[in-house]
Amino acid sequence: MNEWQRISKAFFRHRLGVLGLTIVLMFSAVAIFAPWLAPSDPTTQRIATARLEPPSAEFLLGTDELGRDLLSRLMYGARISMRIGLIAEGIALLIGIILGGLAGYFGGWIDNLIMRITDIFFAIPGLLFLIAIVAIFDSSATTIFVALGLISWPSEARLMRSEVLRLRSKEYVTAAQALGMRNWRVIFRHILPNALSSLIVVGSLGIAGAILSEATLSFLGLGIQEPIPSWGTMINKGQQFIFNAWWYSVFPGLVIMLVVLGFNFLGDAIRDAMAGESHKA
Amino acid sequence: MVSYVVRRLLWAIPTLLGVFTIIFVLTYMLPGDPVRAIMGEQYRRADPETIERVREQLGFNDPWYEQYARFLWRSVRGDLGQSYVLDETVKDILIYRFPRTLQLMGAALLVAVILGIPAGIIAARFQYSWLDHSLMLLALVGIAMPVFWQAILAKIYLTQGTYGVALFPVAGYGDGQFIYLVLPSLVLGTHLSATIARVMRSSLLEERSKDYSRTARSKGLTTHAVIFNHQLRNALIPVVTVIGLDVGYLLGGSVVTETVFNWPGLGRAVVNAILRRDTPVVIGTLIFGALLFVIVNLIVDLIYALINPQIRY
Repeated sequence: MNEWQRISKAFFRHRLGVLGLTIVLMFSAVAIFAPWLAPSDPTTQRIATARLEPPSAEFLLGTDELGRDLLSRLMYGARISMRIGLIAEGIALLIGIILGGLAGYFGGWIDNLIMRITDIFFAIPGLLFLIAIVAIFDSSATTIFVALGLISWPSEARLMRSEVLRLRSKEYVTAAQALGMRNWRVIFRHILPNALSSLIVVGSLGIAGAILSEATLSFLGLGIQEPIPSWGTMINKGQQFIFNAWWYSVFPGLVIMLVVLGFNFLGDAIRDAMAGESHKA
Repeated sequence: MVSYVVRRLLWAIPTLLGVFTIIFVLTYMLPGDPVRAIMGEQYRRADPETIERVREQLGFNDPWYEQYARFLWRSVRGDLGQSYVLDETVKDILIYRFPRTLQLMGAALLVAVILGIPAGIIAARFQYSWLDHSLMLLALVGIAMPVFWQAILAKIYLTQGTYGVALFPVAGYGDGQFIYLVLPSLVLGTHLSATIARVMRSSLLEERSKDYSRTARSKGLTTHAVIFNHQLRNALIPVVTVIGLDVGYLLGGSVVTETVFNWPGLGRAVVNAILRRDTPVVIGTLIFGALLFVIVNLIVDLIYALINPQIRY
């Protein structure tokens, strides 16, 4: 049984991990198939007939102040959240893998320089930076995921560096180097594949973090703007109606929590599976 | 020890310089004409020569390196400029608002420690029991719950009788009474308390497998005594690290908590400043926030060196 088979076997014995995977797959499906799954168009207004309707058979999760169906808006909101989460973490991983890889592989002054830059980025308060970027440029999804990617890479870089340091001294890497294999080939063929499982763990937790950050930004009214349905923006709008329409701000928050839990469970379970702690949870 | 403190202090300088540089680049990239923002209403009435003179006086025509040097020099001296909107300097705004944010963050930290450490100890003491499982599940939920949503739930169910009970004021600072602080600090502290509980549990479990724990047990000490007299001190070390790392989170979380509860701190100031395009206040808060973050991490590192007998620099 190889390493991957062992890990996946341990993973599928991890109850919370399987739950996490199910949640993540479910949200991905909803995001992809939102136009077919949503009971109505997320922007159709019913101001005259269905303003702030409580949950009912017609509107399963109620409606907002413009009479838009909340369930449909939540489903379309999954597209924004998942897209921002995936791309932002993708950017963070890319920067982190490159910089962390260089630092760990070459060591010396390159390592020192890159690690100092990492320290600097660690010292920037994330949300404040994000707020400033959005204030300076605009609050489109693109700006948000690029900004998120640009501030989230340091932990990925540190992990990649420590993975490279751990793997660099392995016999197969030394052998490859001794055989005259080029540095970049050693990194791509021998180091990266072995660091992959750890990177998947931080990636999964990172996606959760990015989704949460976007929701926070949108909640402050500085992120995704109406009429695009974003979970954070919905809670922001729902704030004004908390004492007469609880569903408006409660359901979007529940959904955010669920998806974040899903990615966290998934990440934790893969980590446990790698550590061989399959009995836990 | 002294040389470690000095070295650690010196390390903070390049870090801060880097942060200031990034902030400068951001301001430099700001779209729109800063002169226009500064002159406000007068801009439209002024003739081009006046505008040009103001621009020259304010140094916006200088090459970037001169502007950069000036920016650094001003930041170091604490001269963060004047708000575009309010008739106040950024420094005065920070001086008025920061103590209120500090109060909120301090209370949240206290909540987190009071809830998180006992929860972690109990979970570790009764590992794999239903108590352990429910506490850890609760912690996972606490970590995944967005702060702003928690704040709203607290408002819905604890401040008014429509859906819940009216136990606390809906929002505001009052005259600084304790009751106004309760909900905001509980909400802000939840995430950190959950993290602390998880780290406390796992680090206690790790201590348990060490030789000294086995020795302590084998000489007949109760589990209780082993935990409190031997393991806890060592197990607290990672907890301190996590608290230091989460200060950034507290800072971000206070922005949200202050906005929801209308708390007159820095976080709300920065959100308002952005909505009003009040750039100096935004930049000033960013500089201040980064400074605070670096200082707190410095303190955490020093505490870490103090309580961890294995670290001898």
